[in-house]
Formats: sequence, C-alpha cells, structure tokens
Amino acid sequence: MQVPILPRVARGETNAIDECLDRYGGLIWSLACRLSPSTSDAEDAVQEIFVDLWRNADRFREDLGSEVTFVSILARRRLIDRQRKLRRNPEPQSIDETDVEYPTPIPSRQIELAEDGVRATACLEKLRQNEREVLELSIYHGLAQSRIAERTGVPLGTVKTLIRRALTQLRTCMQVGSRLHAEGGVQL
Amino acid sequence: MSIPGKPDADRWEELQITRLLFGLSLEEQAEYDEFAQKMPAETSEFFEQVVASIDVAWSDPKSMPLPEHLRETIRLRALKELTPQASLPGDKPTVASVVTVRSSRLPWVITAACMALTVLTIASTRPIGPVEEVSRDAAQLRAELISAAKDLVRVKWSDGPTPISGAEGDVVWSPSQQQGYMRFRGLAVNVPTVQQYQLWIFDKNQSDKTPIDGGVFDIISDQEVIIPIQAKLRVQEAYLFAITIEKPGGVVVSSRERLPLVATVN
Repeated sequence: MQVPILPRVARGETNAIDECLDRYGGLIWSLACRLSPSTSDAEDAVQEIFVDLWRNADRFREDLGSEVTFVSILARRRLIDRQRKLRRNPEPQSIDETDVEYPTPIPSRQIELAEDGVRATACLEKLRQNEREVLELSIYHGLAQSRIAERTGVPLGTVKTLIRRALTQLRTCMQVGSRLHAEGGVQL
Repeated sequence: MSIPGKPDADRWEELQITRLLFGLSLEEQAEYDEFAQKMPAETSEFFEQVVASIDVAWSDPKSMPLPEHLRETIRLRALKELTPQASLPGDKPTVASVVTVRSSRLPWVITAACMALTVLTIASTRPIGPVEEVSRDAAQLRAELISAAKDLVRVKWSDGPTPISGAEGDVVWSPSQQQGYMRFRGLAVNVPTVQQYQLWIFDKNQSDKTPIDGGVFDIISDQEVIIPIQAKLRVQEAYLFAITIEKPGGVVVSSRERLPLVATVN
C-alpha cells in the first residue's frame, strides 16, 4: 500500500506537489477526458480538480478510506458539477446513439489498484449484463439517463431502476456501508 | 432521529445516485439539501464511495498520462493557490495551527510573499486596475439610485444570530426599479472556494420559509465594499434583508446556521 501524499501537501511540502501529480495526474486526466465534452474542457476541469485537491488535502483521513478513492471522489464531484452547468446552456447537437461506439472499460491491473478498486472490480463481475451495461454508460462514458435509454432501448424508468439496483448490489458487495458506519463516515 | 420511512429512503437513494452520476437540477438540489439535513450523515457517503471505487477500477492512468504542458500549468498554479488565505470568523486558526502554518508552510509563505511583492510592484506602475473600477462604478450607481429613486428603502445592518464583530453598513433598495446595493465595512473577507456570502430578501408576499435569493457574493476587502443586489424574483415589499454564509455557489434553501447580518425595514 502506498504512503499517502495528501498529508504532506496539507503541510505545505512543495515536493509533494510533484509526487501528487505523478501519482494522480493520469487518474484525474483519464476521468476528465471521459466526462468532459472536449479536450479543452477536460484541461480546465483537471486544473480545477487539482486546486480542489490542494485546498482539501487536510481533509483526507487515512483511517476512513484510501487516498486514491478520496481523490476520485473530489474529481467526480467537480466533473459532474461542470457537466450540470454545461447542461444549463446546452448546445444544439444531433446524435444518433445507434452510430456511437461505447467500448467496454478495461479494468486496471490488480497490482496498480488500491484495495477499494480491487474490491470494486470483483463486485462488478457479479452484476448482470444489463446492470453492468448501464453502469458503464453512466459512470464510465458519462451519458445522461435519457441517452442511456435511447442507446439500450430500455425505458427511462427501467434505466433508473437498473442503475440503482446495480449500485445497491455493489454497495452491499463492497461492504462499504458497514465499514463506513463503523468508522463514522467519510470526512470530505 | 426517527428511522426514515421507505418512500423517503427510496427518494433519498435516488437523489444521491442522480447527484453522483448526472448532477441535480436546482429543484432536486433543494430536495437533496432538505433530505441531507434529516437523514443520517453516513448514508450520503455510501454510493459516493462505491462510484469512486469504480472510477478507480476503470481508470487507465498509465496509458493516459497528464499532458506535460498541463502538468506545468498545474504546478505553477499550485504555488499560487496554496498561499495563505483569509478566513471567516469561526474558522480562525488556533494558536497551535498558526504555529504549524508558520513552520511547515514557510517555503510556500516565502514564495507567496515574493509573488505578492511582484504583483504589488507591477500594480504600482500600472493604471488603476479593473477591480477598483468595478468598485467605483458600484459606488457611483448606488449614489445615483439614492438620488433618483423616490421609493428608496434604506436600512442599516445589525447583528444577526451569529454576528461578525465590527461589521457594519447598510442596504438601499428601490421597489419600483427592483435595484439595490449592499454596503459593508468590516465584514470578514471570505475564501470563495470555501464559503460565500448570500443575501436573502424577505418579502411580505412570500412565505418567510422561502425568502428571495438576493445573490451570492464575496467580500474582497475589510474596507468599504458595495455589492449590487441580484434578486432572483420580483421583490414586492421587502421587510427584512439577511446575510448568510453558505457553501461556494450558494444554496437554494438556507439552513440559516450562519446568519451574521440582518437589516429590518421599519
């Protein structure tokens, strides 16, 4: 298990900045590219995420979860917030979902994953195909629910049900709930 | 707290998932905030942890390294962003934390001081900057409103339930023009990424549970600051103006936990 960097960032150690960029730059960049409408938007998002990270570094609690998950939570919050703002000013677009390719994500190699990631990979394997598919389209590809419905040919209500059922199963499988409850919740 | 009913629990889960994967609309955000106050705190973190773990599992950092130019930009910005910032009351550092900042953040403090000195040097040789111009415009517009509006309401700020020592100023508002300005002196400078001030306008034709959002704003100086009011709805007959401290971007419904200033219309 890697030694956390964020406590050093919080203490103001400048060399921790470089280490943080080395360790999490790729993760955040890949997330931003997936969940942003353009490369320039992804670049803006990554900068904002790192600023969030510097400013919230002192909130990371090693006893409540892995550092990479903490980073991922911050990144997703920022990216979804940006998506939400963009949706308020939507640009006209014409997308025929049947023509778009959405490749299945390839899990990171086990050796590179933190414990949470390993557990998530194992639990994802237990989902039904249609449950996993809606999670891939929503979490990995960042599609809106209506586009997932269009893509899969499944009614919108069913899409919502599938996503919720899949996440509930994952939550149970990963035993996040009981662990977090026992430890008093994630401090973010 | 009582155990939440099943319909509530279902809706709470639905909102959490929507927030995580798709983002919430303003209405949903208001509903979410309401639920968040009554639901056990830990329940709001379960799904977030799960989704973050999946993000990690499906990420591909090795084949998508951070572009070098972006990395350098972020490095430089880190030095700039990590400078010590002013805090709001209630966030005052303890003696221990001040000592920690002085010792461990010394390299950044020095860097920040150098950068600040550079900025000051540049500023002193340049014409008046845009920030000052905006401030002067607001003062001028306020003065024009005061002289022109026949129905002007003018009230002084007084301490709210969670006062900020030394803060003073007033509010001017014209119902016919639907325009107004807040003036502050001594109100604590906020860090916009941590918390912001928000104005609420209580209208006699509106429930006091749903005051009108008067806009989110920042205080950038402890000297006199004038902020234009940006009411989101038409204000018919204001009877109270209130300032709360909220998360960045403000809220749709305030918990009113931090309410430093009020101005009551007689």
